Amino acid sequence: MHKIMLVEDDESILEMMEILLRRIGYEPVIVPDVREALEQIQTDPPSLVLLDLMMTPINGWEFLEKLRGVYGKKDLPVLLFTASPSVEEKIDQLNDPWLGVLQKPVSIDELRTGLGKFLGP
Amino acid sequence: MTKITMGGKQVLGYAGTDSDIVRAVIAVALIISCTLITALSFSRLPGFVNYQLFFIPILYVTYFYARKGLIVAGICGVVYQAIGYYYRYPDPAAMAGVTSEAILFIIIAFLITYFIEQIRAGEAQYRTVFEHSQLGIIIFDRVDFSIQRTNTKIASMLHTSEAALQTMPFTSLFFNPTEKTRFLDSLEKYGDIQDFETQLRTSDGEGCWVNLSWSAMDTRLVSVTIVNIKARKLAEKENYDNMLKYQQLTENSPTGILILREGIIRFINPSFSHFSGYRPDEVLGKEFLGMIDPREQDNFRLFCRNLSGTTPAPGQKEFRLATKSGEVRGVVLFANPIVDHGQPAMMINLMDISVQQRLEEQIHQDNERRRGIIITVAHELRTPLQPILGYLNLLIQDPQGFGILDETKKLLERCLVSVERERQIINQMLDLSVLESGKLHLSYSNFSLASLVKSVLDAGGYPAKSEVTLDLPADLILSADMDRLYSVLDSLLANAVNYSKPPRKIRIFYRPGTDGTTHMISVQDNGIGIADIMITSIFEPFQLADAVKLSRKYDRLGLSLSIAKKIMQMHGGDISVESVVNGGSTFTIHLPRTRPDNA
Repeated sequence: MHKIMLVEDDESILEMMEILLRRIGYEPVIVPDVREALEQIQTDPPSLVLLDLMMTPINGWEFLEKLRGVYGKKDLPVLLFTASPSVEEKIDQLNDPWLGVLQKPVSIDELRTGLGKFLGP
Repeated sequence: MTKITMGGKQVLGYAGTDSDIVRAVIAVALIISCTLITALSFSRLPGFVNYQLFFIPILYVTYFYARKGLIVAGICGVVYQAIGYYYRYPDPAAMAGVTSEAILFIIIAFLITYFIEQIRAGEAQYRTVFEHSQLGIIIFDRVDFSIQRTNTKIASMLHTSEAALQTMPFTSLFFNPTEKTRFLDSLEKYGDIQDFETQLRTSDGEGCWVNLSWSAMDTRLVSVTIVNIKARKLAEKENYDNMLKYQQLTENSPTGILILREGIIRFINPSFSHFSGYRPDEVLGKEFLGMIDPREQDNFRLFCRNLSGTTPAPGQKEFRLATKSGEVRGVVLFANPIVDHGQPAMMINLMDISVQQRLEEQIHQDNERRRGIIITVAHELRTPLQPILGYLNLLIQDPQGFGILDETKKLLERCLVSVERERQIINQMLDLSVLESGKLHLSYSNFSLASLVKSVLDAGGYPAKSEVTLDLPADLILSADMDRLYSVLDSLLANAVNYSKPPRKIRIFYRPGTDGTTHMISVQDNGIGIADIMITSIFEPFQLADAVKLSRKYDRLGLSLSIAKKIMQMHGGDISVESVVNGGSTFTIHLPRTRPDNA
């Protein structure tokens, strides 16, 4: 069973996503603190990270930069999980094969398809 | 009158037949008398009368008819020689003397002829100059002002004849008494004078502007040359009028005007003073370049160079100018090459666009702020939708697991539809905001219209909802942003389905544009149609408030038509609509055959 790490600071979404992920056959790993999440990836790497963009104290883009840079996880799949529009342009610029986006709100079918792209059906 | 010849041709004078005959008779009489007297002298009084007697007829004829004098001299010579030979034969010395005397006749006649012709030719030249002069000439008597001589030019200038002129006093030619007095004063005071501008009266009573110069020929006669300056006076008046007009224009112009010669300010108008805060005396003679923003000075030099080349042409460009108070203001400079005091110069009209620029900047900022708000609002609206959508999905996909009745599931499904619709509206709002910002770039490709329509129909499941007829050329290739055109077609088809009731009929057809430069792709439905009053507002974003008042039927229109129209406009095309209430609507996409330069 694939472990999916959820990096997100909105509790209502965390709670719902935990149920949703379990329902479609994944093992959710919930880490409300962003910096803790980075540490945990080192010690216990998940199969994929679902990453919110608007977070404090570091935002999703900074998280991604650290993950790819300092933490050296260049081929860990990351799905940006965001309600912000117009992130596609920035994603195109990064030219990162292990990076995708899921626009909030995402339906259960869209979530399944999005994850399946990186993890297989 | 005499015959006056010049270079052998008669140029002036008349042949007075009567006097010619008289002179001929006199000449013949003189020759005969000379012959008789000389013959008598040789026979009776040797040495008493000399050959000089023959000079009388020769001089007489030569004086009047120079060349005929030569013939007379020849005749006289022959006669004299004949008489001499007759009486002196065979004394050789005496005969030689007679011969040389006869030759002397011819030589003297020849010399006289030559000089007389010279004198007459000179006279004729002067007369020609006088008669044909482009200047009017009048010679008058300074005692009684009677006109002695005139030429044709002055007669034509005053629309009269020389004969008429010669009957009137010179002073009567002046247009008014004041001018006449002024002339008399000048004549008295200065004697010879030049450039006396006045008006003479023509025969039809008009004034004619002339320039008079006169000089005394002798104690009585004065010659006056007269130049017609009517044209110059008219031009001067015109110039003066123009000058006044330009002066008024520049003085009262609401735009700043300045004249530069070699970059130096030569003139500024009050508007420029007002704009810049400088008084004329503070900037005249200074370099204009100093007022231009230092960062734009190179541009300004280039701008000036383009204007002062071999083929100067007007130009315009935006610059920033520093005013006296130090404020930097945006202006548009319109420059025209002109001539100022005989030197190439530049006239610059200056339009203050600082207010306009501030407004534009304001509008731009407002738009950016609005976009920022829309993006934030979209984010804030989407986030809470996530748990709703997620939980609804969970419940609906596993009703048994959650102990949900069929009835409840149906209600939940309706909730799901509403969530989907809200999600769509938010997405459309964002799309429109991106389209309006102009930051979106189309990605052009070539593709088949028929295939595109087929994929839109299949993906949207339209054939299941309506009877669909296609009337499209199988092999037509379009050049456009395929994804965008897909969404445009999808919006039109969705509308066609939403605003009609079964049995639905949708027809998609193609026509080339009337001028041959566009494609026209139409989607026709048999729906409720659109009232005339709504036709334009259906393409306006957020016009639904009005629409709701008119009819609840349109409340689900959303933003899709605004977006579709915007997309087509970005392609250099458009969307038009024809509609009959309760008779259906036809939406037509107009797409240019070739990609416009700015798309």
